[in-house]
Amino acid sequence: MRHQSELREKFFANGRADDCPVHDLHGHMGTFYGAHFPIADASAMIRAMDRAGVKLLVFCSHAALLAPDVGNLGSIESVRRFPDKLRAYCAVNPNYPDVVKRDVETFDSYADVYVGFKFLADYHGRPMTDSGYQPAWELANSRRLLVLIHTWGGSSYDGAEQVRTAAEKYPNANILVGHSIHGDWDSAIGLANEFPNVYLDLCAVVDERGILERFVERVGSKKIVFGTDLPWFDLHYYIGAVLGADITDDDRRRIFYKNAEEILCSRL
Amino acid sequence: MNIEFFDANVFIGEPAKGCFKPAVTAAELLEEVGASEIRRALAWHIAQHDCSPQEGNRLLSEAVSGVDALYGCWTILPPQTGEVIVDGFFERMKENHIFALRAFPDYHRFLLNRVTFGRFLAEVSERRIPLILSLEMGIGWDAVYNVLQEFPNLTCILCDIGVWNADRYFWPLLDSYSNLYVETSMLSMDAGALEAAVLHYGSERLLFGSGFPLRYPDAAVLQLLHADISDDDKRRIAYQNLDNLISGVRL
Repeated sequence: MRHQSELREKFFANGRADDCPVHDLHGHMGTFYGAHFPIADASAMIRAMDRAGVKLLVFCSHAALLAPDVGNLGSIESVRRFPDKLRAYCAVNPNYPDVVKRDVETFDSYADVYVGFKFLADYHGRPMTDSGYQPAWELANSRRLLVLIHTWGGSSYDGAEQVRTAAEKYPNANILVGHSIHGDWDSAIGLANEFPNVYLDLCAVVDERGILERFVERVGSKKIVFGTDLPWFDLHYYIGAVLGADITDDDRRRIFYKNAEEILCSRL
Repeated sequence: MNIEFFDANVFIGEPAKGCFKPAVTAAELLEEVGASEIRRALAWHIAQHDCSPQEGNRLLSEAVSGVDALYGCWTILPPQTGEVIVDGFFERMKENHIFALRAFPDYHRFLLNRVTFGRFLAEVSERRIPLILSLEMGIGWDAVYNVLQEFPNLTCILCDIGVWNADRYFWPLLDSYSNLYVETSMLSMDAGALEAAVLHYGSERLLFGSGFPLRYPDAAVLQLLHADISDDDKRRIAYQNLDNLISGVRL
């Protein structure tokens, strides 16, 4: 199938396909302790997005997640600087419940910025079912907001068991399973099939050949969205991986933008 | 732009732990990567790692025999045990169309250092035979730094450099060792990393790799085709640098 792909021809020829805008729902921004990022600031990231035909990036800055002193200010500022290209997740750090309460209460003040919340339980050392996240979960559940959760196979903070608990408790929140419970692929497939509000994210998935084909075969492309962790992973590399997988162009369009447009329609 | 790629990092064979649609034969390998415009490859056999270098080297030699588009890699073990490195080793490399070596010291339980490989790696250096080291399979950065310190003239290719950006590890090595090369299958995965490496060190020591069958060849190919570097840089990375390395090998 991949050898007769119209989309593949367009991306290979031009680096982008004008009739196939890419929506990246898993991004970050800024410097990070564990790696050098050559394109970490908003301007450089926007240039990379334009080269690859990425129309929208939804992100949460590293500082928002890992520097409580800074919080979400950088994310807000970047979205307001590039409103046609960026939206943000409001970072939730359960170790600072007063800040979570404040951010949830003022969420509507940033309707032009936020599409939902981002949880990073492994790094914050608190399971995503912890009461510290509750105000954010409840708002997301009442508004059908998107919640991007970092997940990893085997984690006691954000593994399959915690995703199941959250999906059962908050059936109206749109839960984007970041990294698709990396390595525990069958659990991710089972949860995406069982819960209408659970979507699989391709970030840190398509660097391993064959997992995407398994997702499409067993879940269907309607429950899969595109994510790169930008500025972590290269947009063209990830787009190329989706183009190189043995799936159809219809599946690719679902993954690249159609699903994201449906999930985000009320927030854009 | 049209480029025919020369892939520095593919393997043949079925991994012990399983893998999505591996290429069992040379024909299957060339068909699969050929769909991504990869016309030639420096190939090894996964059994060299998973089973034993002896078994894997034999399987690799059989697979690439008579296949002009494939250039072979053998895997080495300490010379002292005589399991792989024996008299006439380099002549047999030539007979079997072998142009590079691999080593997996941690996985195969030996130390890649002067005590173990002194005379052998000195000769490998003189013959300009590339030694390929995979950071994802059987060696860590400490050992890489150590072997390059002990054999500074060694032609060394670092491959599978890791999912997380590895600039902090390999840029100091590019600073210090002129015969050090970096394969790009995981470098191209990290946003802006290939462009940054070209900006700081030039394109002459980067070698295109796909990482097939573990990774999608189209991913690395699309990234290089549309990287923010010159067309000349792209050609050097895509095939010219590896062509130069292969033609410089003295067997």
